[in-house]
Amino acid sequence: MNRIIDFVLRNRLLIVVFAVIVMAAGYISYRQLPIDAFPDVSPVLVQVFTQTEGLAPEEIEKYVTFPVETAMNGLPNLKLIRSVSNFGLSVVNIYFEDGTDIYFARQLVNERLQEAREQIPEGFGNPAMGPISTGMGLILFYYLEDETGKYSLENLRTIQDWLVKYQLQTVPGVTEILGIGGWEKQYQVVVDPNSLLRYDITINDVVDKIKANNLNVGAQFLEKNAEEFTVRSTGLASDIKDINNIVIKSEDGVPVYLNQIANVKTGGAIRRGVQTSNGVGEVVAGMVVKLYGTNSSTVIREVEEKLSEINKSLPKGIKIVPYYQQKTLVEAAVKTVTDALLEGIVLVVIILMVFLGAIRPSIVVAIAIPFSVLFAMIGMKFFGISANLMSFGGLAIAIGMMVDGAVVIVENTDRLLRASRPGESKIHIIAKACKEVIKPITFAVMIIIIVFLPLFTLQGVEGKTFKPLAYTIALAMFGSLLFGVFVAPVLASFFMKKHSKKKSPHTGMTSARAEHAESGKEHSPNGQAEEEQIWILKLLIKIYRPVVTFFVKKRIAAIVLAVILLIIGAFIFPRLGSEFTPTLQEGTLILRMTMAPSISLTESTRLTLIAERRLMKVPEVTGVVTRIGRGEVGAHTDPVNNAEMYILLKPREQWRNHATQQELEGLIRKDFGEIPGVLTNFTQPIQMSVDELLEGVRAELAIKLFGDDLDILKNKADEIAAQIKKVNGSADVQVDQVSGAPQLSILIDRHAIARYGINVEDVQHAVRTAIGGETAGQIFEGVKRFDIYVRFDEEFRKDINSIGALLIKSPSGTEVPLSQLAEIKEVVGPRQITRESNQRFITIQCNVTGRDIGSFVAEGQKVIDGKIKLPPGYFVTWGGQFKLQQEANARLAVVVPITLFIIFIMLFSSFNSLKNSLLIFLNIPLALVGGIVGLWISGQNLSVPASVGFIALFGIALLNGIVLVTYLNQLRMEGLDVDEASIQGACLRVRPVLMTALAAALGMIPLLFATGIGSEVQRPLATVVIGGLVTSTTLTLLVVPALYKWFAIKVTEGEM
Amino acid sequence: MEKNKIRLAGLIVVTALQIFFMIGCSNDEPKEKIAKTEKQNENAGHSAAIKLTDNELKEFGIEIKQAGAGVITNHIDLTGEIKAEPSRLSHIIPRFPGIVKEVYKTVGERVKQGEVLAVIESNESLTPYEVKSLVDGTIIELHMAKGDLVGGDQVAITVANLDKVWTILTIYQRDINKIKAGQRALVSLSAEEKGEEGIISYLSPVVDEKTRTASARVILNNSSGKWRPGMFVSAKIFVSEKKLSLVIEKSALQTLKDKTVVFIKRGNEFFPQQVNTGMVNDMNVEITSGLQPGQQYVSKGSFTLKAELLKESFGGEE
Repeated sequence: MNRIIDFVLRNRLLIVVFAVIVMAAGYISYRQLPIDAFPDVSPVLVQVFTQTEGLAPEEIEKYVTFPVETAMNGLPNLKLIRSVSNFGLSVVNIYFEDGTDIYFARQLVNERLQEAREQIPEGFGNPAMGPISTGMGLILFYYLEDETGKYSLENLRTIQDWLVKYQLQTVPGVTEILGIGGWEKQYQVVVDPNSLLRYDITINDVVDKIKANNLNVGAQFLEKNAEEFTVRSTGLASDIKDINNIVIKSEDGVPVYLNQIANVKTGGAIRRGVQTSNGVGEVVAGMVVKLYGTNSSTVIREVEEKLSEINKSLPKGIKIVPYYQQKTLVEAAVKTVTDALLEGIVLVVIILMVFLGAIRPSIVVAIAIPFSVLFAMIGMKFFGISANLMSFGGLAIAIGMMVDGAVVIVENTDRLLRASRPGESKIHIIAKACKEVIKPITFAVMIIIIVFLPLFTLQGVEGKTFKPLAYTIALAMFGSLLFGVFVAPVLASFFMKKHSKKKSPHTGMTSARAEHAESGKEHSPNGQAEEEQIWILKLLIKIYRPVVTFFVKKRIAAIVLAVILLIIGAFIFPRLGSEFTPTLQEGTLILRMTMAPSISLTESTRLTLIAERRLMKVPEVTGVVTRIGRGEVGAHTDPVNNAEMYILLKPREQWRNHATQQELEGLIRKDFGEIPGVLTNFTQPIQMSVDELLEGVRAELAIKLFGDDLDILKNKADEIAAQIKKVNGSADVQVDQVSGAPQLSILIDRHAIARYGINVEDVQHAVRTAIGGETAGQIFEGVKRFDIYVRFDEEFRKDINSIGALLIKSPSGTEVPLSQLAEIKEVVGPRQITRESNQRFITIQCNVTGRDIGSFVAEGQKVIDGKIKLPPGYFVTWGGQFKLQQEANARLAVVVPITLFIIFIMLFSSFNSLKNSLLIFLNIPLALVGGIVGLWISGQNLSVPASVGFIALFGIALLNGIVLVTYLNQLRMEGLDVDEASIQGACLRVRPVLMTALAAALGMIPLLFATGIGSEVQRPLATVVIGGLVTSTTLTLLVVPALYKWFAIKVTEGEM
Repeated sequence: MEKNKIRLAGLIVVTALQIFFMIGCSNDEPKEKIAKTEKQNENAGHSAAIKLTDNELKEFGIEIKQAGAGVITNHIDLTGEIKAEPSRLSHIIPRFPGIVKEVYKTVGERVKQGEVLAVIESNESLTPYEVKSLVDGTIIELHMAKGDLVGGDQVAITVANLDKVWTILTIYQRDINKIKAGQRALVSLSAEEKGEEGIISYLSPVVDEKTRTASARVILNNSSGKWRPGMFVSAKIFVSEKKLSLVIEKSALQTLKDKTVVFIKRGNEFFPQQVNTGMVNDMNVEITSGLQPGQQYVSKGSFTLKAELLKESFGGEE
């Protein structure tokens, strides 16, 4: 260590260059850091979507989901496969272990998808991977506004899909643009079944003929007079006329054209999603999906530039209106923390000035902050941590602690400089001063870093949220250590002056400080020295000395005080509420409507418009844009009974009674009222998409029943729910709503078709094409391409009767109505089939109140085992948040004691005394009390950020203890008697202890009072630290000196 | 003494650790969330009654009607072909084979009974004889020209009287029992036009062995000449028409827990009422039990009410 100091002071220029390089590198890293609003908590997930027009959940599961799932089994790093088979859509979520490279995971999935594709029957869809993005990838939503009112929804959608989308996709960092709303243009061949009968054609002939009459070919080239002519045969249909003139059949040379049996027109494709706005009507919208790992702020900026460019090229009267931008959120979040950071810096510098009483040393110390912060930036770049609320929050938290090392060095240097003889070289003194303190500093900083170790073991969402914070704190502390060891001595040699003669402009103060320093050095019980301190210290010590003397004399009082505080803490603790993590307020409100599962898109659109009109009447609301169901596959998989209403609000200042976001939710809810048949709840964009990706159960307990038969699953789940409801402590027991989708079931009678010699496939093919429709190629309009869709006229497929009248042609040429071949009936089928680890399951959710979950689970398990008879192959698993908690607790229960033990060992090795180490550890419970009281007074809950606050608190509290105990030991070794050493030492160390504590606390004050976006996560943390510092510092200064006697080392024990 | 103190300190540290773990363990948030949802559900009401104000009815497009008597007609859609009436179709075969000397008429010309159509010179007698039409009608086929040798059993001229035509409708097995002679039929060329009314005059007593279909005949007046034999037509057969004492709009029916219900209105409250249905067509349905004439029922927007009742159950899945 000493050699380092010597080296540093010998190569001062080198060090300065090094410091500048570090800071420059830090700045460059900062510029390159991806900036996000929050840490991305999305799991490593590859989604496989398969869209299959018109298939029911059972078929989707059988033909699509199952092959995809099986193909994915056994992938390396695979964590879990979960799937949902919905109407027309199969979603397989393949979760990988955290830390798996997303591109690696996608590559694996893609390889296996080939296998899956072979297993999926022809025409049942093509599985494709979702966008390379995460839950935070939806960075901008827009809709197209048509001011002229002359564009149809179909036109607008075409503009969106072929103009806007393709241009936006060229922006680097944009992985996909997903359109929704309006109608996708389609060439519809509306077939009249009677005409088919008239000309003796089947609908499948029509499809085949259209396909056969719509293509271009190339036929190499010809040579002619030394030139080459490319041979090209064009037979593509390019418009309705061309389609109309396709010959379907020719009888005795008389052609039957398509227009004789069908009406060809353009129309909207079948859709599963609608976008509406302001209660007025439908709009066409798009979503910009950001590529995984790109810099949100850059991508957003470039998307915006592109948007304004596109706006110019759009037809007159149409413009793109963004209605949700993550930019505002990113900016706000970053502003919240950078503000806190800057204010913190200012406050810390003020503290330094006050306590050090001079500008020069303050400068040296203050430089520690930018140095450490920039150093942390290099680390963030290296570890791939984005700049966000949590990582910057970590820096804001650490501001006060970053200066600790530098403070100690500067303070000591200051002291020695003042005490130095005129002839002594400045460098020499500084070297000496640094050498004295370098070891304890290194040691103390190491302890702070170690204290944060438990945070690194957090897993899942909490891990992803708080690890960046732990990283930046550790990095910044490491930076501050580097600063203390390498840079501070050099800067001290540049900035600080010897003040042996009273030449300094701060004459009064410096003289006082010089004397103080002297007195400190001599450790004489010099009462006068303090009299001449700068007034704050003077005042402080005037109050402090009698108090500390009292406690040292009457130790029992100190113990009583400590015990009382502990009791208060123990008393308040159970009164604190608790929550997992406070919800981040994103500043954008979404009102999510859940309608009846069987609802039609038309009806849900109607209800949504009614709801929008109600919202528009709320004074704070300027607009509402709603997405119902899903658009292009990739971001959302909602069924049509879900609507998400983005509420556009007036600026916050114009809200009633200056409401907060949560209060506003209440106001809106009140104004909005109830809509019959609709459940509503408020959510936020990122929260929503992350929840969707996690797809975890929100309740404490999730009983998953696995098995094959959907009916048995449903029945047994209901039975289990009934039993669980009887278990003491159960609340909110709910069974997943898996059924309830009405189906029109066409059950083919095999005997009936046998009589006519018809195959099942003949029937089904006809059913699919006639009722569902079939794509028969595409029409190209330049690069735009639109499907040709063949389907029966609606009149002939509108209800059970008309479907029954569908004629099936037998091989003998006879036409037989469908109802003669099959039983057609309305049944209620499953609305979705959920699977996990290759098995169907159904979830029973439940919360537990008034008893501990462990015993509840035990009892519940017994009840299920005893009362419910499960068929073979059916089994129950228990999961939910409680499992995560148990895992987290188990981990922390190991990690926290180990961490504390490591710290203890470090203390022990440093102090060489078990008693000293224990005395320092005494700070921890006392600090806890302050944190708890702080939370209680401010009415906050125990939460993960509060726990993080406690961890940070440990570090600072320990640091205080170390500073004091080290000094007391020093005084003892210099021969003072225990009581005298306690009082004297405490009085002399009140400055550094208060300074570090105040710096740490004030550094966080801005976080405490911040109201911006993201502040709700930082606030509990800051509250705990500030509250804890109050008690721990007070007690460090009062109780530790008092108890020192019992924990004091024996002087003869040896050197420190 | 000193040992005790150390033990005390140790105890404090242990307490601290415990407190810390408790912090780590606590998590009540999901509970609050679910509790919130539950609360909303309570507002929605567990009882079957739904209260709605007149304004809300208007806002959600819920319409109320009074149950009462009505008529339900049912029809079956069939397809068929226009055919000339066989009794008014005369196939003229020249009595004696011979050479055609003269043809006076062409295809499409109207002829009167007794009008001379052609003159043929008999091969046997070598004397010309006249071929006359025995009916009023139109020549629809003419297979002779001057100089042709006609004879044997070949039809040379077909004269059809198309004032009345037959519509032969194809009846599939499933419908046979419903269709009877005397039922009204509306025959049309395409779905768009209104069509012409006729009566089923005949139903074939046997089913074709090949096609397994029966046929029905509707005689249409064709004085306008609109119906041309060979035309493909579709027909609506009105198989039943009944006056019933209790008929409501079909859109009022909803299925609730596998039971058919109608929402009835009492004051401002709406209740689901289980009903049994009788006859039904596209628009209306007969109620055989569960509803009284004169009762107010929700004719439009009943789905909204059903959804409100189901609200509780579909809330749990998010």
